[in-house]
Parts: sequence; structure tokens; C-alpha cells
Amino acid sequence: MIALTASPSAISTVISAGRTELASVRQRLLLTAKWRVLWVACAFVLVALAALLRIGLLGLFEQAPIRQDMAAALLPVRGDIVDRNGVPLARAFPAYALWYNPAALGGDGPPLVHPASEVAAALVRIFPEENQAELTARLASARPGYLRRRILPEDANRIHALGEPALEFPRENERFYPQGSMASHILGFVGADGMGHVGMEQVFNQRLTDPSTRGTPAMLSIDTRVQGALEDELGRGMLESNAKGAAGIILDVDTGEVLALASLPSFNPNLIDTAGSANIFNRVTNQVYELGSSFKPIAIAAAIDAGVVTDMGKRYQSNRPLNVSGFEIHDSHSFGASLNVPEALIHSSNIVTAQIADQLGGARLNATMRALGMNERPYIELPAKGFPLWPKGDWSRITTMTVSYGHGIAVTPLHLASAYAAMVNGGIWRPATLEKVKPGHAAAGRRVWKASTSARMRQLLRLIVDLGTGRKANAPGFRVGGKTGSAEKPGAGGYRKSSLVATFAAAFPMDHPRYVVIAMLDEPQGTAATSGQRTAAWNAAPVVGRVVPRIGPLLGVMPDDTRDVDISDLAPLIGSGDGE
Amino acid sequence: MNLTQDRLRSVGWAVCLTVCAAFVLALTFRVNAVKSQVRLAERQIVTLRQERLFLETEFETRANQQQLKTLNDVEFGYQAPTSGQYLENERQLAALGKPRGAGAPAPIRVASVAGLEEDSGFPAMVSPLTGKVLIGEAAAAEVPRGSARVPANSSDLRDRLSRVERREQGPE
Repeated sequence: MIALTASPSAISTVISAGRTELASVRQRLLLTAKWRVLWVACAFVLVALAALLRIGLLGLFEQAPIRQDMAAALLPVRGDIVDRNGVPLARAFPAYALWYNPAALGGDGPPLVHPASEVAAALVRIFPEENQAELTARLASARPGYLRRRILPEDANRIHALGEPALEFPRENERFYPQGSMASHILGFVGADGMGHVGMEQVFNQRLTDPSTRGTPAMLSIDTRVQGALEDELGRGMLESNAKGAAGIILDVDTGEVLALASLPSFNPNLIDTAGSANIFNRVTNQVYELGSSFKPIAIAAAIDAGVVTDMGKRYQSNRPLNVSGFEIHDSHSFGASLNVPEALIHSSNIVTAQIADQLGGARLNATMRALGMNERPYIELPAKGFPLWPKGDWSRITTMTVSYGHGIAVTPLHLASAYAAMVNGGIWRPATLEKVKPGHAAAGRRVWKASTSARMRQLLRLIVDLGTGRKANAPGFRVGGKTGSAEKPGAGGYRKSSLVATFAAAFPMDHPRYVVIAMLDEPQGTAATSGQRTAAWNAAPVVGRVVPRIGPLLGVMPDDTRDVDISDLAPLIGSGDGE
Repeated sequence: MNLTQDRLRSVGWAVCLTVCAAFVLALTFRVNAVKSQVRLAERQIVTLRQERLFLETEFETRANQQQLKTLNDVEFGYQAPTSGQYLENERQLAALGKPRGAGAPAPIRVASVAGLEEDSGFPAMVSPLTGKVLIGEAAAAEVPRGSARVPANSSDLRDRLSRVERREQGPE
């Protein structure tokens, strides 16, 4: 453009000079462009190098992210407790809780999307037992806290559908008992402090929390199905007789394993509240009772073993009350002038049993009771064990006589179960245990009675159920044998006639005893269902009669009408009427 | 020349070293990649196991003894089996099929369901002579000696047990 406006005379020089100038400009521009390209390329290369270096560093030297071992991740916070078949009874479980977090939405606005009253109403629709006004106040107060400690997954889904970010449901490791209140007295519970309380949770606390041992579940001796049947039937017996409480135990006679142990009313270990904590007391191992006539077979067995009773047909007077040191021992009604031993057991005669105990003597009865562990706390793992009320010193005549029919001595139902196990298993007493015993590893125990005495007692116990007071426990085909016991509870100024403890102690099958079943009802009343009667024959014996057919097949005892213990040598001794 | 050879050798070494380093690097990356895959798989296993535990526990809770008892009370009403419902051994089972001796008591029938023959879907066997429905012993008596034994196409145990072939009484 400059060239065109210039004068013709100056054209050549101007043009040449202009060309040179243009060329140098172009060169400069090109150089600049090249430099720029070079810089950009350098920058890229640098970035790429840096990236490569970083990758290399990461690949070579970077520590792996804190990695949790798979075994550690799967290790429960607290070990499981399972029954003898591996059914879980207690497990660590990541349950949902409902937590209110007012800060979830952030900012200075209200903590909830919807008004608090609406959210509270929606929550009450999910949890009908909640108090709406209380809930509204809590939501409006905007203080963080638990709304509920444990919710079901489907409830969590429904809360999620409300669209409130402030309602969080964190998964928390909790102790969970899938069977609810079943076997609660055996299991116990885990408190907010993470420590086990009451039952095996307390006993196994160390083992269940130690990382080296909590991976393997602790196996108990109980069988869930048997426990369920026992609790079910005891609960029914308790309802029918309007009793204050009930207790039951099923014991393996050869190993001392506890198959089921129930104390009713029970509590729910998933939710310990005031109503539940009142029922934590264990009637089977902690409460001592005068168990009454169910002690008679023990005294008779001691007499047979000592050679005091050698003739089953020998008759004892039974229609005159015994007067010993100012006390009078009498029967509920007269069974005739005299009774022999089988008849005395069938009719549950205090007078005859007391006479036999008198002949046996206090020292020998005392020794038998000691051998059965009646003078010490029951042998079981559970922490709550009651101390028996045991007559101190040398037993006087009257003490010996009253103990023989279960008065003046108070023991737990577990004591009675262990004693009956020894009576029918051949005479060997073994401590009860709640841990599963491997085959061949049963405790050695100690011999209390001769095997011959045990064999005779099987016959006598079977007779009582076949012909005597225990007839309602006679489950067809299961060859049940046992003894009733209805003891008046001691109160202020003597025994209270209106409050009884009704017990039925049984074992089955009598031709080869495998299990002892004890059912006890605390203060049963006479109702229409028990024909207006309060004694064990009408309330505790039917419980055993219903439990045995339910548990027998589960425990490998098949009902069989063609088998029974041979009682043909005793049968002729039984009078057809109420004694003679 | 020497200089070029030396240079070549050193270049060769350098290339060799670089290639080796590249391989080591690649291998390290590969190992780390596999390791992280294993970690992921482990994490997945843990999640699945926990999920299984969760579901198992939920199942145990819904099917606990008390629930099952309630369900049985309301829906089924099953009761513990009685001694008549047990067979002790094969011998006892075989005894059920034995022909009945003269004057023997009626056989014990097990697992018998009354009224099943009406609903079994099979036509009842009819006597060709009288046109009457044959049940039990009458049917057994009808089986002619020496003829082919046709297997019973009856579905219930009662019919099968009652279709026992007997020796004819009286003179041979």
C-alpha cells in the first residue's frame, strides 16, 4: 500500500527496501510462532513427564490403601451363640437404627423439608406405638438423637420414601436374638456397655469378644425345637392353671446336657425394658422351692440302696398320723390301714415315706442328699444360682422325716432334675451343663445309687404314671415315668394352704431312660381347665404329657406301644382300690 | 571405528536397560492391577456375605419357633405323630404286605387317607360280573391264579396295601 502511494521515481528503492523489510517481518513472525510451538510442546512434554513420573511413583512406591483383611472384615464384633444343631440364637447383626440429624440439610434453613408435624404423622403411620405429639416436639427441637434404636429393613425403606434427609438410618452393630424371647434366661443379653449380662452372654463374655476366638460360634447344648416345645407347653399350662410363673427343664440323663431350660414369664433380650427386667430372675436355677412329694422317690431309692427296704410287698401303717417331737405328719386323705412301697408312691403317702426315712436314719439320707449336690448351688454355667435351704448339722428324726417328702429342704428345680437323672441312668450323678458335650466326653460324675436300685426306681416311677397320680403325663408309647409333687409354700406363721408349688418330675422312655423332664408351676389356681384342682396331677403332669410326644421324636425316641419297662413283678402288689 | 563401536555398545546397553526397566514397570503395574482386582473381589465377597447374614437373620426371625407355632395353630393344626404312625424297620414295613392268616385281626393301616379314591383321578376297578366297584379284599380275591400281575395304577397307599395277592383257600 505504501508502494502504491509513493512517487514513480522512488519506486525501485522503496520496493526493494519494502521487500527486505517484509521478509524480515515474516521471518520474525515465523520464529515467534516456532518458539511458541516449542514452548507449548515443552509444556506438554513436561506435563506428560510429570504425569508419567507420578504414575511411576504411584505404581512403585505408593502404599496400598489401608486394606482390611477379608477374614477381619467378616469377623463378627461379638461371636455368635448357636444351639446344638447350629441354629443361631444370638448374633452380631448390623441392624438399622433411626437417627435424627438436623444438620443434614445444611445452611440456616429448617432441618426438615416438610413441617415437623407432618413428618411425625408419617412416622407414626410406620410405627403406630410412637407418640405423635412427643415425636413432633422432638423433630421441632432440632436436637440430634436416636428416634428408634432398631428398625426393620422394610421400615427403613418406608422412611427413605418420606424424602427427609434429616432422618438417617445408620447400620449399627447390635446384638440380635432371632428367636425373640425364647431361651432368654439361658442367653441373657448384652447391655449398652457391650458386656454380656445374666446368661451365657455373661459366661462367655471373654470368649465372645476375644478376636482370636469369636470367629467360631459358641455352641450350647440346648435344642431350639425342644426349647420351643417346652416353653410353649409350659406357657399353656401356666395360662390354664392361672399360675404366677412356671419353670421347666429337660436334661440328658447320660451326659447332663440341658436340652431346654425355661423360666416363665420370660423377657425379650432384644428389648430390655422395665417390664422385661422384672422377669430376668431365673426360676430354674436361682429360686429354691420346697418341692414336696417329688422327693419321695429319692428317699425310697436311698432306703432301697441301703438295704432298709428289701421287700416291696412289706406293708406300713398308713391311717394314723405320725406324731414326732410335737409335729404331726399326715396324708391328704386316708389310703387305708396299710400300704406297701409301690402303693405308697402311687398314692404319694407322707406317712409311709416318713416311716421308711425314719428307719433309714438321718445320716444316710443326709449322705444321699449330699451326694446329689442338694447342699450346694446347682452345677451349671449360668451365673445366677440359688443356694439351697439345707437343714444344718445332724438331722433330727423330724427333719429326716420331712426331708423325705420334700419339706424342710428347698432346692432349685435343676437340683431335682440332676437327682432324677441319677436315679434313672444307673445311679450316676453328673453336673448339668449348657455346653454341648462331645460323644464320649461326658463328665465322670459320681455313683450315688447301685444300678439295681436305679432299675427298681424305673419300675416304680413308671408305675406312678401308669396307675398313680401321674396318669395325665402318660404319653402313649413314650413309657413316661415320674412323680408329682404339690408343696404348700411357706409364709408367715407356717405353710399357706392356698399357694402351692406343683411339680412333675419325669423321665422317658423308662425301659432305657434318655431324658428327664421337669415341669413346675408356681401358685397354680383351680380353674375349669384343671377341673378345679390345684395339685400337680392336674396341672404339671399334663404339661409333661404334652411336651413328651412333641420332643420325643425330635430327640430320637420313637413312640412304641409294644415296649415298656417290665413291671410284672410289682403289678400284683398294687391293690385295686385306694390301698387296703 | 573404535569410538563408534564403544558408542554402539553403550547405546545398546542403554536400550537394553531401558527395555528391561519398561518391562519391570509394566509388570509392576500389572501386579498392582491384579492386586486391586483381588481387593475388589474380596470387598464384594464381604458385602455378599454380610448380605447373606442379613437375609439369613431376617429369615430366622420371621421363621422363629414362636412364629411357626402361631402359624401351625392358625393354619395347619399339625400334631405330634402317635406310635401308630411309626415303622421301626424294613421288616415291619414288609409285614404290612403279608397275606393275612385265617382268623387274624384286621391289619393296621398306616398313612391312610379316607376318601382319596374318589378324588385320585383314576377310574375305580369294576367287577366284570356284577358291575360293582371293587375295593380292598374283593379286588384281591378277583386276581386269577397264574394270570399276569398288572401293577396297580392306584395312587394311594391304602389301595396298594389292600391289593394283596392271596393264596386261594381250600383244596388245591
